[in-house]
Amino acid sequence: MSSHQSPFRFFSIWLSLGLQSFGGGVATFALIRDAAVNQHAWISEEEFTHEWAMVLLVPGINLLALTILIGRRARGAPGVVMALVGLMLPSVIMTALITAAYTHIRALRQVQAALKGVVPAIVALGLFTSAQMAQPILKAAYKEGRFSLTLSLVVVVASGLLVACSRVPVVTILLACGLLCGSFQWISARARATPEPIAG
Amino acid sequence: MNAVTYFWLFFKASLFSSGGMGNLPSLHRDLVVRQWATEGQFAESLMIGQISPGPNGLWVVSLGYLTNGATGALLAVIAITIPPFLVLLLERVYRNIKHHPAVSGFVRGMSLAVVGTFTVVLIGMLHGTGSGFQLRGMAIGACALTMAGTRRVPLPLIILGAAVAGVLCY
Repeated sequence: MSSHQSPFRFFSIWLSLGLQSFGGGVATFALIRDAAVNQHAWISEEEFTHEWAMVLLVPGINLLALTILIGRRARGAPGVVMALVGLMLPSVIMTALITAAYTHIRALRQVQAALKGVVPAIVALGLFTSAQMAQPILKAAYKEGRFSLTLSLVVVVASGLLVACSRVPVVTILLACGLLCGSFQWISARARATPEPIAG
Repeated sequence: MNAVTYFWLFFKASLFSSGGMGNLPSLHRDLVVRQWATEGQFAESLMIGQISPGPNGLWVVSLGYLTNGATGALLAVIAITIPPFLVLLLERVYRNIKHHPAVSGFVRGMSLAVVGTFTVVLIGMLHGTGSGFQLRGMAIGACALTMAGTRRVPLPLIILGAAVAGVLCY
């Protein structure tokens, strides 16, 4: 259990999670889950699932919000700091170092050629990620009915058009779309919940 | 470059978005308009973000470094670390709002808007970096998409493959 671990041990566990995070987000998620649930029993399987659902409602990097919750559950406020710093330090330093190294070789002709090849791949991967993000939402909307699906598609297209053709701040577009879908779901849930008038 | 404004742009973009890459459209708009970043620097930082370890959301650390040196990287780290702390506030009210349709609807709408704006910014990046809509670029993009679709090839490997293809093609 967590109470047996010294603060140093706790920090070094998160540091090693950070050092192992080369595989990107999905791999890191699996590592954190295994460490927190199985190896150190900071949190139960069920609590982990519950906390992950909550994390998805919070802005920013989901893994950081998850780390904050687990860190606090294990060791309170100091645990939050140790877990976050441990997880982020290796990858932040590596990212900065790689960027610094890159600026020294950026002018080389081969590097420019490589970058020209990488851009279409980045765009393709980004579109893939977008599609992965949209798919479960559109599927749920499809199940809810034609209007819900249409609204979802309109939001995707309209937000894209707005960012392409207008000067409306992106944050405003995102918030407006959130409010639109939020009120729609609220209204339609209320409509469903209203009981049929009792005859006679 | 005003450090306060610079930080605010990173912070605002991360606070009002979802996921680690959701801040891209807002940052792109704000930094490019001010000429604090170029289309190329966005492409470069996304590339480095994919290659380097950690959550993909750390691509902004690279953007910070490219546009404003070590200070920029530090400001970017702070800006992306604060918003996830909202989870501690959410935890207090979560039990009451968990099943409220407006909450899930809000998150849904925001995610859909991230998809829409993200797509437009990405396509603009193809155009803006001159990697454009030519056959070679399209072929590399199609290969990357196919490999990602199998879900078996690690993303950094796809990026490295595209880099090799770039050296051979251009």
